[in-house]
Amino acid sequence: MSYKIPMGPYHPGLEEPYKLEMICEGETVQDAELKIGFNFRGVEHLAETRNYIQVIALMERVCGICSFIHTLTLCQAMEQLAGVEPPPRARYIRVVMAELERLHSHVLWAGIAAKLMGFKTMFMTCFALREKVMDVLQAISGNRVNYSMNCLGGVNRDVEDAPAIAGMVDDLEREMMRTIIPIFTTSSTARSRCAGIGVLTHDKALSCAVVGPTARASDVNQDLRRDAPYAAYAELDFEVPVEKAGDVRARLFVRALEIIESCRILRHALSNMPPGEISLNIDKPAFQAGTAISRVEAPRGEVMYSVTWKENSRNPARVHVRTPTYANMPAVRWMVRGARLADTPLIQASIDPCYSCTDR
Amino acid sequence: MNPLLTALARLLIFPGLLFAVPAAWFYLWVERKSVALMQQRVGPPFMQPFFDFVKLLGKSTPPRPGIAGLLMRFWPLIAVSAAAGAVGLLPVLPSSGGFEGDLILLLALLEVPSICIIAAGFSSRSIFGEIGSAREAALSISYNIVFLLAIVSIAAAQHTFRLEALAGMRPSFLTELAIIAILVCLPAKLHINPFSLPNAEQEIYAGPMTEYAGPELAMWELAHGLEWVAGTGLVATLVAPHVTAAWLAAALFVAFSFAAVILLSVLAAATARLAIDSSVRFYWQCALIFTVLAISSAILVRLRS
Repeated sequence: MSYKIPMGPYHPGLEEPYKLEMICEGETVQDAELKIGFNFRGVEHLAETRNYIQVIALMERVCGICSFIHTLTLCQAMEQLAGVEPPPRARYIRVVMAELERLHSHVLWAGIAAKLMGFKTMFMTCFALREKVMDVLQAISGNRVNYSMNCLGGVNRDVEDAPAIAGMVDDLEREMMRTIIPIFTTSSTARSRCAGIGVLTHDKALSCAVVGPTARASDVNQDLRRDAPYAAYAELDFEVPVEKAGDVRARLFVRALEIIESCRILRHALSNMPPGEISLNIDKPAFQAGTAISRVEAPRGEVMYSVTWKENSRNPARVHVRTPTYANMPAVRWMVRGARLADTPLIQASIDPCYSCTDR
Repeated sequence: MNPLLTALARLLIFPGLLFAVPAAWFYLWVERKSVALMQQRVGPPFMQPFFDFVKLLGKSTPPRPGIAGLLMRFWPLIAVSAAAGAVGLLPVLPSSGGFEGDLILLLALLEVPSICIIAAGFSSRSIFGEIGSAREAALSISYNIVFLLAIVSIAAAQHTFRLEALAGMRPSFLTELAIIAILVCLPAKLHINPFSLPNAEQEIYAGPMTEYAGPELAMWELAHGLEWVAGTGLVATLVAPHVTAAWLAAALFVAFSFAAVILLSVLAAATARLAIDSSVRFYWQCALIFTVLAISSAILVRLRS
């Protein structure tokens, strides 16, 4: 006899409100339906009522985890419309912040995944480490969540003591190599909960057009940092980890390897940071009428902003945001089909969903 | 001493209700505190399980008409009574009485809370309660075979089903094997990691307990604490050396129970939750090996004697 189990919109396994309705046969999930929209705040409409300075502060609040990425994408689109290029040092600082945010997001995700496996000790370890990543972010920006770093034509704050920040990054990497990465890759109970579950095949990943670590775990070799470089990524050397298995463990591995790569990028960026200005200090930007599109590789995958400006307007005419979760969430249905009920919270979490951004 | 008075004293005073109820809260605190310390958290204050119990007792529950409502009030009371009875049967003090076959009664009483949980989940008519109950039933069938065979193998080797005789036996390879098998089963019996799936909050909220609140939930919490005392107490009575002084026997009982609580807490903190099929497979494939060994040893011991 099949029965329907509602998971959400308010559920201890979910960080944010959304609903996964599962049709089960015993402990096996036959089908699932994902419903979103519980966190709609009308941010895109609000953006149309803000000027080019206010809109940055507004879009920073689309997501509490990748707040920097959202302002970076918006600023890149606005810089295209204003016809300006940020100075080299600002581009490096943007890389540093973006990679620290990737570390922050991946460590937070590892904690959530551990909690969903019932591994609360690991959850606490991950969140303690996340605090240290936030300490580094605070040391640079003065803030722990909404950093207010980006502005039109550069960044608001400089990295004043790059060697000290590099030292903090080294400590972080050591700690991650000592705790999170070995436990997730070698713990037998963690392995038994991740290996072979929530499989998304390469073909299905392509047909669902998934992005970010979800795609890379299904052998889709894509990363905007390498394929369409922005900020200073074209000048930096890094690998894009790709796994073939397509299961939750592969997504875990991809994120673990990305943590290591992010530390490498951070060290490289901090040691090769060019001197000079951090911002163009634009007083009155002249925006061209038209639409500009900017894409950035957020921790969860590709974020796309489409910004439209009208002639002589102070405010954008339209700001459209496409978040990685919007691209990844249709794949959840294919991942949970045939899975055990006990694995579904972990499977849906393996795409690292952010419904705050998606509902915006 | 009058056997009836002795039995009443065991049931009501030591190791029964008067000892077992505070011990239940203490063990619950030890478990929560030790896990918290291992996770670099502060953990609850010493009196927290008692405060939780009192707070829940003072809350009102939604009206539940009909038989289902009656049953929902009924199951936690049976679970508490059975768990308290099981603690009362443990032969903690030397020459504390008992009767031939009390081991069978103890095993039955230890199983009653689990049956009550299964029935409670189905009585609550919640989908999460029903799934939790189904998981508890599947888990119970798996670990109980190992658990019962481990105890029966010791009883068979000693030619008796009297608890006092088992508590006084000399340690051997067989008893060590059986105690390990019992320890392997206890996490499932107490619903802690890696076998916490009947109440996996990230999947099915509180499982069978989802619809329970107020005094009924307080009774479930108490039953859970008493299960800790009974489960770890059983291990303590089998492990503790036989002494004649009553105070020393009681102290050893508490010390060994405490050690078992810490051991189980460490296991719970160090592991993730296993899914139902992995748990069942674990008990049927791996832990059964322990018991087959124990039974073979028991038969050998009997043949030799």
